[in-house]
Amino acid sequence: MVRLDDLHPEEAAGMRAATSRFGYIDHESTPWITPPPLSESTICLVTSAALHRRDDVPFRFGDSGYRLIPDDVDPNDLVQSQVSVNFDRTHYQRDMNVVLPIDRLHELRDAGEIGGVSRLHFSVQGASPDASTFEAAAADMANRMKELGVDAAMLVPV
Amino acid sequence: MISHYLQRNGIPTTTISLIREHTEITRQPRALWVPFPLGRPLGVADDPDFQRDVLRSALRLLETATEPTIEDYPHDAPDGGGDGVWSCSIQLPEPEVSDLEAAIRAEVDLLTPWYEEARRRRGRTTVGISGATPEEIDQVVSLIIAIAEGSGFQQVPVSAEGPNWRHPLPMLVRFAVEDLRAFYQEAVTSQEGTKPPSQHDMHSWIFNKTTLGRAIMAIGHQIAENEDRRLMTMRGLMIPEGFWEGEVSWGELPPGMDRLSFIKSSRAYLAGEEAEAR
Repeated sequence: MVRLDDLHPEEAAGMRAATSRFGYIDHESTPWITPPPLSESTICLVTSAALHRRDDVPFRFGDSGYRLIPDDVDPNDLVQSQVSVNFDRTHYQRDMNVVLPIDRLHELRDAGEIGGVSRLHFSVQGASPDASTFEAAAADMANRMKELGVDAAMLVPV
Repeated sequence: MISHYLQRNGIPTTTISLIREHTEITRQPRALWVPFPLGRPLGVADDPDFQRDVLRSALRLLETATEPTIEDYPHDAPDGGGDGVWSCSIQLPEPEVSDLEAAIRAEVDLLTPWYEEARRRRGRTTVGISGATPEEIDQVVSLIIAIAEGSGFQQVPVSAEGPNWRHPLPMLVRFAVEDLRAFYQEAVTSQEGTKPPSQHDMHSWIFNKTTLGRAIMAIGHQIAENEDRRLMTMRGLMIPEGFWEGEVSWGELPPGMDRLSFIKSSRAYLAGEEAEAR
């Protein structure tokens, strides 16, 4: 796991069809940016697990917005409006960090391996049928990250 | 995708990659491909050393990569992905269909002490995405039963009124199913020392050994009999491939449509946005 050949054939076919979502991306025009050394960098997480706090607005199906997760969130305050049935939830049900490694980031910060941890993290619903709709949300997220003093984002899909 | 948009707006990114083919196509700036099951980007629950190593490996690319890079993480998950190592230690009655409601309520009653133990020990629960609180699990059952028995996908049945449902129908059904699955799964993995089941183990248990699985299949039949084909997208999101009676869970796609265009065409309806617009 996980190459598409390892999945159920129908599931893999769906995933292959999903690659058509990516075709329009012009990766050549994406600038290369070098962050400060890790030991000086403040890091934030971006999860595609559609996690959000219980009282926050739930992700609707195909929602291309984002939600904010405080760095000191109570793990019991997180729920997950991800629609796909094709991924493991049991490990996340035991341990938030297998999807949203906030505690692990804190440990790396405390050991001096990274400079800091953002006071907010970001969550999107990854199974959107139209990935181009994320463009506006991502621009807005980037601005928020700059306000938060974030030097680099760690993206964590499910 | 998001990595490109963030970089264009001045934020460097590194990402964990679960599906190598997707990452190869999107050419994200820095990606660590990990050989773990979907849903487990850090590999395994309750193993801080392993999780930290994965995280550190992905972050290190921020310092070492000088062009778009996919690095392969060299270690498998400590449980090897976990297929087949799990068996349910709680004896449930044989799943039955004759009285769906009584049978599910009996299962929930049997599982409740285990669920509460898991919740106490972990200090958390993931039940609640439908909007019902964990204390309102009986109303979640009422909703599932009503839908399975044909109350339709337009209105919350009277028997399931009460909770502050946070999704409109039809998609509320998907999230109510997920809440009940979370209740069952947290309950049966509550025992200390038991290895967590793999995704396939869990699907097999839910769909082959529980009345909840029978109820989800009954909802699948209601969808098949409904004249609105767009509901089939929800069935595909609810019943994993390989578990729908020997056929494709998504059903046959309308002529001229691939799965992605079919999902797009049903999205607004399933999200309840069409009903709101009326």
